[in-house]
Amino acid sequence: MSAENTADVRAGGAPLIEFRNVTRTFTTGKSSSVTAVDDVSFSVAPGEVYGVIGFSGAGKSTLIRLINGLERPTSGTITVLGREISRLSESKLRHVRSRIGMVFQQFNLFQSRNVAGNVAYPLKVAGWSKAERELRVQELLEFVGLADKAKAYPEQLSGGQKQRVGIARALAAKPDILLADESTSALDPSTTGEVLRLLRRANEELGITIVAITHEMEVIRSIADRVAVMDKGKIVEEGHVYDIFSNPRDHGEITFVGSALKDRPTAEDLSRIRQHTSGRLVTVSLKDSATVGAVLGSAAEHGVTFEIVHGGMNTTKNASFGLLTLALEGESQAVQQFVDSLKAAGPVQEVREGQEAQK
Amino acid sequence: MIDTYRNLDWDYYGPELIDALWETIHMVMVAFAISAWIGLTLGLLLYTTRAGGLLANAAVFWTVNFLVNTIRPIPFIILIAALQPVTIQLLGTGIGNTAVIHAMVWASSFGIARIVEQNLVTIDPGVVEAARAMGASRLRIIFTVILPEAFGPLILGFTFVIIAMIDMSALAGIVGGGGLGNFAIVEGYQRFRPEVTWLAVAAVIVMVHLLQILGNLGARKVLRR
Repeated sequence: MSAENTADVRAGGAPLIEFRNVTRTFTTGKSSSVTAVDDVSFSVAPGEVYGVIGFSGAGKSTLIRLINGLERPTSGTITVLGREISRLSESKLRHVRSRIGMVFQQFNLFQSRNVAGNVAYPLKVAGWSKAERELRVQELLEFVGLADKAKAYPEQLSGGQKQRVGIARALAAKPDILLADESTSALDPSTTGEVLRLLRRANEELGITIVAITHEMEVIRSIADRVAVMDKGKIVEEGHVYDIFSNPRDHGEITFVGSALKDRPTAEDLSRIRQHTSGRLVTVSLKDSATVGAVLGSAAEHGVTFEIVHGGMNTTKNASFGLLTLALEGESQAVQQFVDSLKAAGPVQEVREGQEAQK
Repeated sequence: MIDTYRNLDWDYYGPELIDALWETIHMVMVAFAISAWIGLTLGLLLYTTRAGGLLANAAVFWTVNFLVNTIRPIPFIILIAALQPVTIQLLGTGIGNTAVIHAMVWASSFGIARIVEQNLVTIDPGVVEAARAMGASRLRIIFTVILPEAFGPLILGFTFVIIAMIDMSALAGIVGGGGLGNFAIVEGYQRFRPEVTWLAVAAVIVMVHLLQILGNLGARKVLRR
């Protein structure tokens, strides 16, 4: 894998990572097996931050390990940095891996090495000279803000510091791709922010392409450009973060995004709401919150009163979105007209109360 | 009791004890210097060839595992006797300290193999995965990740083995070898002089304590706690 190859891939705008109909099945017994990744296709463009989100057990960990060949696909093809890696030998794979950094949930720092030793390890693997290594380690520790911890050992660091060392180590050999495997799941909310800002800087300042798998909406919201939602080994939704999060979805089931955003009333919420209102319940998307606001302001003109019964706003990397659930009261004709004008401002959905009715 | 030792013929027992002590140290050190490497290799094989290991290979794993399980349970006194034809073939003699060293190498190599394996399986698989993800070769991972990560516990494991080897060396007498065990039996027990036997006991206790202190210090330094 030469540097020119990588440059070509970038110049051509071709994807850095491409999965085509990739399946990975694990045999768990004589006749039983689990399909962790099921017929998955997607691609990641150079410089992009691609998020993969899903419940635990959705196959995310396997998916990310297929990218650097820690797992091999059962079928399908995987192209990374212009090379078809699914059938490469272990020794050839090593060259591809040296162009890919990886950050882990449990940090996976070498306990037997200090911070500088951890960061220098991939450089040793890549054959850098001692002088080059020392310079690079210094540079990286400054990048992650741990220049004063070079001699510290992992157990002397906090969780956030450990992960920053993990990131410095992953970036050491100047990789083209950074894989983040639940990189903030073991951290508390404030350190999560710290680590996410660092990943964002790596993407923006170093131009590194990032694939991040997570079950935390926070990660996707703050760093991802595009997101894939995984469920039972399949990618069930994929698109720009803003579109996926802001569109009311109606799969007739509780989706991951919905449950993580908590932007729609649950059955329990609904029964509480129903105790004080009998109005028509609709959920309106706040993609264009100004227009929605204007329409809401005209409710009285329609002869409709509304009450906000549920909702919230969220911010993504470069936009905000949200859902509001309204209880509308008035003559059914007037309410219908009001809903129509809301629809002009953004997607509107009736709230299903089927589950609640059954109770 | 103090009088008993005061009246002991130290001009005779003193040098005898020192000689026996040196013979024990010699047997243990030579056998350990050989079996440490054999055991480390076998232990690494057990760890890396197991299912899901870096060099996963069922045939190698089962062979080594079977060998270890076969040799290890043989009581050492029987092993010395059973190995005698091999000892004679290999060393030209079936008796003396050299013969005992030979048997000790067999017994301790397979014991060390297990101890090495047990310490290596406790390494977080995550660090091995991290090294693989960086493109490190499997051999590099074994020598620069797996062994350094387990170094502290390995020092304690090896200390345990050396102490067990002092125990083994005490049986040297049965094939004409020397050492503290022989001294205790021949000079003390068989001559009805328990105070002489106790000299050997004291020497062994001091030796074991010193070794364990050394091992603990070493492990503490490596583990930084």
